[in-house]
Amino acid sequence: MISVADLVKDSKLPGNYFAPDAYVQGDYELGLMENRKGSRLLALPDTLLQAIYAGLEAEIGQAGGVVLFNCGRWWGKNFYRRFNEEVNEYYGKPLTQMEMVEFLECLKQCWKTHGWGVLDLDFNYYQQGFLVAQVKNSPFAATAPEGKKPVCFAEAGILSAFFSQLTGKDLHCIQTACESMGAECNYFVMGVSDRLKAAEAWLEEGQDHSTIMERLSHKT
Amino acid sequence: MQPELEAFLYEAEERYLSQEEIQDFQAHIDRFKQRLATYENLREGEIAIFQPVADRLSEKFPTEKDDILEQALKHWLAVMRYSAMAMLLNNPEFLQRRLLEWLTPSIQAHQLETVEKKLYELLQKQLKELLPEEQLALMQPFLEQAKTNLLANALSGVGGQG
Repeated sequence: MISVADLVKDSKLPGNYFAPDAYVQGDYELGLMENRKGSRLLALPDTLLQAIYAGLEAEIGQAGGVVLFNCGRWWGKNFYRRFNEEVNEYYGKPLTQMEMVEFLECLKQCWKTHGWGVLDLDFNYYQQGFLVAQVKNSPFAATAPEGKKPVCFAEAGILSAFFSQLTGKDLHCIQTACESMGAECNYFVMGVSDRLKAAEAWLEEGQDHSTIMERLSHKT
Repeated sequence: MQPELEAFLYEAEERYLSQEEIQDFQAHIDRFKQRLATYENLREGEIAIFQPVADRLSEKFPTEKDDILEQALKHWLAVMRYSAMAMLLNNPEFLQRRLLEWLTPSIQAHQLETVEKKLYELLQKQLKELLPEEQLALMQPFLEQAKTNLLANALSGVGGQG
């Protein structure tokens, strides 16, 4: 027999930790924003993002992508640590013990509340060793100059660092579709570096996301 | 804060409220008292409301494992708590953002809709027995909101309106 008294014994029934009205707090008059744990949040104005793209392009040209990717890696590493800490504290269990669906929903809500767009993960290529992330309304794409190649290197870096730490494997991440090129959403493919090399070449050729995924999944 | 109360604050910024507005304000306070009483009632009655629901749910699904039923019950205990707060604040968005958006995928992934649809019916029955009519009326929009969000698949799955 189920005892309801036992079910509510802990007295806490957690909901959405990352709900925007609860998570983002601050003193707007002082220009301070913090999350519900009291850690400072940083607002990145569009102008700053545009200037980063333009500045990197002017200073180092194509190498700008590598710089942003490495910034993203660094960011993602710390993001993973904070995400893990906060989720652990609120839900009372570490990420590794969380159910998949619960973990995914936390990550999606967290991503959205930070204003990074709407994230979704596709596990259809899991058997082949790839994980696909889809991001809609990415601010990193919205502020990027229009070009012929995907430009959200910072996001790719964040995703690569985050999932590398989560899985304990060194995962690389490449972007295969970009809103800045008129695509409906950003696509990112994660996998071990060696296996993604071919995809980078196909990307250079100008192949689209679905062709790249098709080829990757048939390549042994 | 309650949106109506905020509207009064804006109105009162540069002048006294009119007699009519003060009457509205009074009515608002009366409604708020009623909301608070409902909230207290739900808080005090949490176990009394849910224990019979749990018992009947076990009878309806005798082959289902206890932890599945417990999970479904925990979901609706949370729905009641968040709905009660949303009712107190008169703010459906509170319920939507703080709980429903986050909970819906979990219910779908665990295929709990059939169990939870039954649970919802049992809960409604129980609330009708335990809550005065006017208190139930205050809670009903939020419970409907939860049902529409959480059990959308189950409802369309059986082709009925629940």
